[in-house]
Order: sequence, then C-alpha cells, then structure tokens
Amino acid sequence: MLKDYAAFSLKNLRNRRLRSWLTMIGIFIGIAAVVSLIGLGEGLRLAIMSQFGFLGPDVLGVQASGLTFAGPPGSNVATPLSDDLAGKIRRINGVETAFNRYLESGTLEFNDRQGIGIAASVPEGENRKVLEVMINLKAESGRLLKDGDTRKVVLGNSFKNDDAFGKGIKSGDRVLLNGITFEVVGILEKKGSFILDSIVLLNEGSMTSVLGIDEKKVDVIAVKVKDQDRIAQVKEDIEKLLRKERNVEKGEEDFQVESPQQTLEALSSTLFAVQLFVYIIAAISLAVGGIGIMNTMYTSVLERTKEIGIMKSIGARNSAIFTIFFIESGLLGMIGGIIGVAIGMSVAYGVSIAGRVLLGSDLIRASISPLLALGALSFSFLLGSLFGVLPAYQASKLNPVDSLRSAK
Amino acid sequence: MNIYEIRYAVQNLGKRKLRSSLTILSILIGITSIFALLSFGIGIQKYVDDLADEAGRDKLFIQAKGVGAPGTDENFFLAKEDVEFVEKMNGVNEIAGIYFKAAEIKFDDQKRFYFLMADVVDKLDFLEEAFSVKVISGRRLKEGDLDKAVLGYNYQFEDKIFKKAIRLGDKIEINGNRYEVIGFKEEIGNPQDDTNVYITVESFEQLFPDRKDKFSFVIMSAQKGVNPSDLADRVEERLRKFKDQEEGKESFFVQTFDDALATFTTIINVINGMLVLIAFVSVVVAFVNIMNTMYTSILERTKEIGVMKAIGAKNSDILLVFIVEAGLIGLVGGLLGVLLGYVVSNIGGSIAASSGFALLKPSYPLSLIVGCLVFSFLVGAAAGFFPARRASKLKPVDALRYE
Repeated sequence: MLKDYAAFSLKNLRNRRLRSWLTMIGIFIGIAAVVSLIGLGEGLRLAIMSQFGFLGPDVLGVQASGLTFAGPPGSNVATPLSDDLAGKIRRINGVETAFNRYLESGTLEFNDRQGIGIAASVPEGENRKVLEVMINLKAESGRLLKDGDTRKVVLGNSFKNDDAFGKGIKSGDRVLLNGITFEVVGILEKKGSFILDSIVLLNEGSMTSVLGIDEKKVDVIAVKVKDQDRIAQVKEDIEKLLRKERNVEKGEEDFQVESPQQTLEALSSTLFAVQLFVYIIAAISLAVGGIGIMNTMYTSVLERTKEIGIMKSIGARNSAIFTIFFIESGLLGMIGGIIGVAIGMSVAYGVSIAGRVLLGSDLIRASISPLLALGALSFSFLLGSLFGVLPAYQASKLNPVDSLRSAK
Repeated sequence: MNIYEIRYAVQNLGKRKLRSSLTILSILIGITSIFALLSFGIGIQKYVDDLADEAGRDKLFIQAKGVGAPGTDENFFLAKEDVEFVEKMNGVNEIAGIYFKAAEIKFDDQKRFYFLMADVVDKLDFLEEAFSVKVISGRRLKEGDLDKAVLGYNYQFEDKIFKKAIRLGDKIEINGNRYEVIGFKEEIGNPQDDTNVYITVESFEQLFPDRKDKFSFVIMSAQKGVNPSDLADRVEERLRKFKDQEEGKESFFVQTFDDALATFTTIINVINGMLVLIAFVSVVVAFVNIMNTMYTSILERTKEIGVMKAIGAKNSDILLVFIVEAGLIGLVGGLLGVLLGYVVSNIGGSIAASSGFALLKPSYPLSLIVGCLVFSFLVGAAAGFFPARRASKLKPVDALRYE
C-alpha cells in the first residue's frame, strides 16, 4: 500500500518537474552548504587538535599560572616554577619520572637570514629516553642529541624546507642561535604538528650554559605516571605537594597540573562554540529551503483540490490523502538532500585539495564521516516531511463535496 | 510603469496570502542575518575609526618581535638607550617606553592573572591620548606613587573579575605586594584591555628589578607636518643601525597607528565577509523560492494573462507586471528583514556588551538600510525575470484556451 502511495507521489512530482526541481534546488543548496561547512570545520578542528595531541595519556604537565594563552608555556607567568620541584615530584608514589623543561624564544640565523622561534630543552641522562618516547622523537636524517652534546641542535622537520631560510638546513650545517654557532646534528621526522615541526631542540646543558637561560625558572615540568588509570590520584598528590612548596592554600593555586587530554578538551570546546555559530548561520538556508517545500506543497494541494475530491469520493480515507502528500514532501526533501550531500562533499574535498595545492596548508582538511552524510540525509527527509505536515493535513481535511465543486 | 501595475501586483499578492507570506518569510530570514552581520561589521569599523581619530593618526609604535602575544616575549625588548636614541631624532614629538608584564592580582582572597602596565607619570597626557583611555574615577597616578594602583574598567563590578567589586581605597596585592586602588580607567571595550592594572614606572621597577629598562613596546608621536609612515621608515632604518642589526634581522618593528588598526580591521572584515557569504546562501535559496512562486502564479493566471493580452496588453506590460510583483515580494521581505535584523543585532550587541565586548556594537548607517532594501528588491525582481518573460511570451489564444 505504502509503495503505491510512494509511486503516486513520485509521479506527481514528475508532473510538476520545474516546480519540483526549484524546490529541491532550495534544499540541496542548504544541505550542500551545511555538509561542506561541517566537513571543513570538523577537518580543521581535527587538524588543530592533532597539533597539540602528541602527548600520551600517561603524561602530566605542571605549569605556573599566568596568562598562558598569550605565548608558549612558561611565558607570562607570575611566579615561575623553581628547579627543585621536579626532584620532589619524582618521589611521589605512582610517578615514574619528572623532569624540567625549558622553552625559550630566540633567533635562529642561517644562510644570512633570521627567524624567530622556540627552542626547547632535552633533559640529560635517563630522562632523555623518556622524553624521546613521550613525544616519539625520531631523526629523519642525522641523529638525536646525546649526553655531552654542547653547541649541537636537532631541528624540526620544517627547517629542511627551502622557504624559511632561502635554502633547507641539513644535518652537519651550522646555524646561529641568538648569535652563537651551533652544529645541526639531526632533523626530526615530520610530525604534522607545527609546534614539533618547527622546534629547535638542545640539551639542557647547552641551553643554560651556552645560551645563558636561567635554570632556576622552569617553564614546564613533565611528569610521567606509572599507571595511567591512577593519573587522577597522582595529579592530586602533585597539587598537594606544590601547594606546600609554594605556600599557597587550596583554591588559591598559582600553578596548574594538567593532562594533555584536559588541555585538548578545553581547546576543543572553544573551537566547537565557534563552529556552532557558523553552522547556525548555514542552517538558516535550510530553514528557507523548508519554507520553499511548504509553499510548493500548499500550491500542490490547491491545484489538486478537485483530484483530492475525486479520490475521497471514491473512498480514499483522510489518512491516505495525508500519506500521499506527506510522502511527496518527504521525497522532495530527501532527493534534495541526496544531491546536496553529494555537492557538499565535492565542495569540501575540492576546497581541501585546493588548500593543499595552492596554500600548502595542512590545516584545510575535510572530514565527512558517514554519520554526517547519513545525518544530513535523514535531516533533509525530516525537513521535507515536517514542512509537509501542515499542507498534507489541510489536504486530508478537505470536504469532498466542496473540493469537487472547486473552480479548477 | 504606472500606478495601476503596482496596484495590480499588490492585489495579486494579497489574494494569495499564504503563498506570498511564505515566500516573503524565506527572503526575510536571509536579509535578517545579512543585515545583522553587516551591522556588526560596520560597528566595529566605526569603533576602530573613532579610536584612530581620538588617538590621533600621528602615533607610532615600536614593538619588539617575539613569540606569542605582542609585547609579552621577555627575550625580545626595546632598551632604554633605544628610546633615548629615537627621542633625539628629527620629527619625533613625544615618546614613552612601556613596561608590560603578566602579574598575579589578589583581592578578597582570590587570585587572578592579568597584565600589569606601567604608566609613565610625566607623559600621562600623551599616553591617555594615545590609548584614548582616561581615568574616570579617583585620580591619576603621580610621581612618587609607589604603592598605588589604577585599575581597568572591569574591576569596578562584582562577579566580573573578583566576586566583590573593588572600590577606591581598597587594597589589592600585586605579586604579593600591597597596593591601594586610587583610580579606575574608562571602558576600552574588550575584556583584555579592561582588565589591565596600572602602576608607576618606579613601582614596576621595584617589583621586577630584572625588567628595568627593558620595554615591551614604545609609543611615540610624529611632530606636526611630519608624515608618520615616513617617520616609521626613518626610525626603523636609524634604530637598526644604532642597534647594529642587519636589514631583515631587526629585533623590532615600527608601525603607525593606522597600520596597526588596518591589520585589525582587515582580519575582522575577512571573518565577517565569510559569515555574510554563508548567510548569502539563504538568499540564493530564497531567490529560487521566489522564482518558484512566480512560475506557479503565472500558471494559475494563464487565463488572466490571455484576457489582458486580448484587450491590448503588450508583452512588455505583462513582463513588467510580474517583475514588479516579484520585486515587491523581495522588498516586503527586505523591509521586515531589516526590522527583524535591527532587533537581532540590538539583542546581540547588548549580550556582547554585558560580557565585556563593548566594541561589538552594531551600527546602522542609512546606506546599510537602503542597501538591504534595494538588494532585496533586486533579488526579487531578478528571480521574477524568467517567469515574467515566460508569461509575456504566452500566445493570447493559447492562454485563453488554457484550463
């Protein structure tokens, strides 16, 4: 029975080809806009998240509080962390190891050109291995740093490109850090994260003795816990220790202990708020498309008043009339949705390819999950049927006698 | 076109109330969002222009390079000698080096982290003009105010920064040192600047002895008759030589106030333009809807068109009648859209103001209103063109026979 209704609806849509097409154009423009924007937005969010998501679930970072959003970790803090804290944290139950990290901005000169970036320290001794595992450091060419390497650096992967300094840096080259000559011993593998790909790694000793960085002001303390299930407990213990060491009361902490996951979640929710705003504006066009469906359906009912009268007089029930018109509008929505999803996907992937080719940016990516495609399809069907309810209801309630008498 | 054609169009729209109102609704929504978005964009532009006018376009910044937010990277700074050197250059009117640093602010047993800025007391008139911020209650800082602080606008309200509102005479702690609050600055309009804390240069140097003579940025003005961008180029070149740096390897950059604001407005305009473009999609959909409605309308009135032609209506008359009808749909939608958009942006503006973004203040110049109306009329008329042309080409005999 339902199949017959559907066939009948489809036939009606075909009869009014121009109008059906125009109505569907309205829907598929809206769906295409929403699908492509969500796809690109999601891709961008994933790309941004992957920039920061290089730390494992068993890692905690300790930072002094301050205006941390304004620069790299450790800058813009009120009271920096002292260098004896890592040793004390290491003694906490459940902590595998903890070590200081120094992040300093500075200049790097090569090929008579200068750039500004961040140099990060690598701890010496056993913790070197821990850090290498923690951020999965591997040399693409040359080697990683080892103990006793003074005036030696390892550079992120993007330094091997020609664009930063006119020609790419290779291991064996010499660069000037803050005016002091260092030898490049290795280039890291590409990470896809602009932080790691543009980093300058030096031994902690070179950082403090050669570059003269104050070793008493620690930027971040990296903590590796033994058991990631107990990370919450360890975090509390560290907070307790730091409150005592820094002489502050609970609720007045001037430091933060965060797992990378927490940082990511905070970032993710901010990004989502921005995305949502864009989606709402895009969704407005869907509402407009829905109104178009409603309009078309009202017109359709009006035109077919006599037809409805005939159907009713030969025994069609109200529910049958309702179903016919309801399916018709649902079909309008769904066909519009299918075309819209197809167009939206091609736009999103087209833009991401264009972004990669023209701008060379990894940030413009499209991520269209099957869920998104399916969601958009069912939404457009829902939209069609929703905006079809009133016209269909009107049609079903028509009085057979009056409608037979109707002028057309 | 005469009055009868318009009246005829209005009558027809009235007869098909439901369909007309749905079509109008569809264009209304798009115009509402475009109007609202544009009013914010124009509002920000206006805010920036006012700022530039107030601060005067003779101002320049010298800023240290570095990573992170401007002026916050402590490894890059401008030294006192740099400032003294530039001060002696021709064409420089006034100049002041500014200390700027994150600090811990404590009040009522709560801690917050905000930026601390040093006010150069003997150049306060100049700084107030450059930042276009005055002290609105209490008094300004003066020579010898070692334990006094002036706070940004937002500190005066409860639950904004601290639970309690701070009043004149209250004591706060900055990095553990006690200060008395002696004044508040007026509202700048963004939560960043309105939370700054100001102390004197001497007091700043006591608090952070290792930052002495290391300025985050330098603000200066050009003498009358001196072109600020020429001066910027000159300062850049001379200071580079003074600091013995090579071209392209400077540790600083010089920017005129206008350039700095232009960068800001460009970013805002790009973002706003993207949003308007997305909102424009809904106008495209509405365009299709109007077209659809007009095709339907013509189909229904085929006989009528036949009659009109039979009694002497020309093709161009029919064309005009339907284009006017479609244009009217657009215009009415635009009119309502502008009204609704006005309401939406006012609500949005007051929400933004209450959350500290007073700079997000919508502005409605006449050109925006007229522009939106003309645009919506044109969208309607353009959407009506193809249906109207089909109507005008109908053969009177066929049209009269149409059932």
